[in-house]
Amino acid sequence: MESTAANALADLVRRAQKGDEAAQRELIVSYQHRVAGFVYAMTGRSDYVEDLSQQVFIKMIRALDRLQAPAQFESWLFRLARNTCIDQLRRQKLRRIFLPFGEEHENIPEPAGAVDTEELDALRHALAQLRPQDRALLALVQEGRSHAEIGEILSTSVAAVKARLHRAREHLREHYQPHHET
Amino acid sequence: MKPEPHAWQALQDHAARQLRGGFADRVLRSAHGPTAESWQQLFALGAVQLRIGFAERVLRAARNVPGVPSFLDQFVLSAGTAAVCALAVFLIQSHNTEIENEQNLASWQQIAMVAQDVDGGL
Repeated sequence: MESTAANALADLVRRAQKGDEAAQRELIVSYQHRVAGFVYAMTGRSDYVEDLSQQVFIKMIRALDRLQAPAQFESWLFRLARNTCIDQLRRQKLRRIFLPFGEEHENIPEPAGAVDTEELDALRHALAQLRPQDRALLALVQEGRSHAEIGEILSTSVAAVKARLHRAREHLREHYQPHHET
Repeated sequence: MKPEPHAWQALQDHAARQLRGGFADRVLRSAHGPTAESWQQLFALGAVQLRIGFAERVLRAARNVPGVPSFLDQFVLSAGTAAVCALAVFLIQSHNTEIENEQNLASWQQIAMVAQDVDGGL
């Protein structure tokens, strides 16, 4: 059953690689919510989600013909998403150094009602305290990527992924305080 | 003055009042870290940020993004730029040399005239 789904996905990717717009559209529709969730976990900003997700899928369409193994499409897509988010966070950090804006101009609070539970708020707060690389690691695990896939995405070994993941989880736990007082 | 056990009790009551409701749950949640549901909520919250028609907007934007130049395009552009620069250097150099030659020739003509005058005087 799983291999049928994998074959169907590989087939869809191959069609998209040949420029079939219907297949490209199907790929976007199939993954847009997962990529958007990943982007939100990485940035913690609702106003970045649409733009960054769009960037991820535009990169996907433009680089799809360079993907050698269609079976690895998901790992490849989430690598694009991770790199796009990290680039954005890096640019944001640089902007903060060079532009005379305070941090309050960058961190526009979420609109009321956007964050509706204590646990979710605590998770967002804890994630914001982590390095983007650690955030990506945890979000990739939540996305269902295996250690081997994450190793491929980060170009590192499975053992290194496990060690980094352990540290990232520790850090997250340290900062995870539902109903945190700042 | 109240007896000591009363004081201890008062202290304990005061301390207990500092804890907000649901303290035990909060401690357990902190100890275990975020639950799978919290992660799901986080991802779901991200997913609802996409406006309707997202795929169409991506496809439209992808069509309008200028193509990435190929290696050959970049090579041709670099070679063209290098050729224009070399031509500019050559033209400026020949112009300067021409001016310098004219100036030298004028100086020699002047020297020759002076020498002729000196010869005539002798």
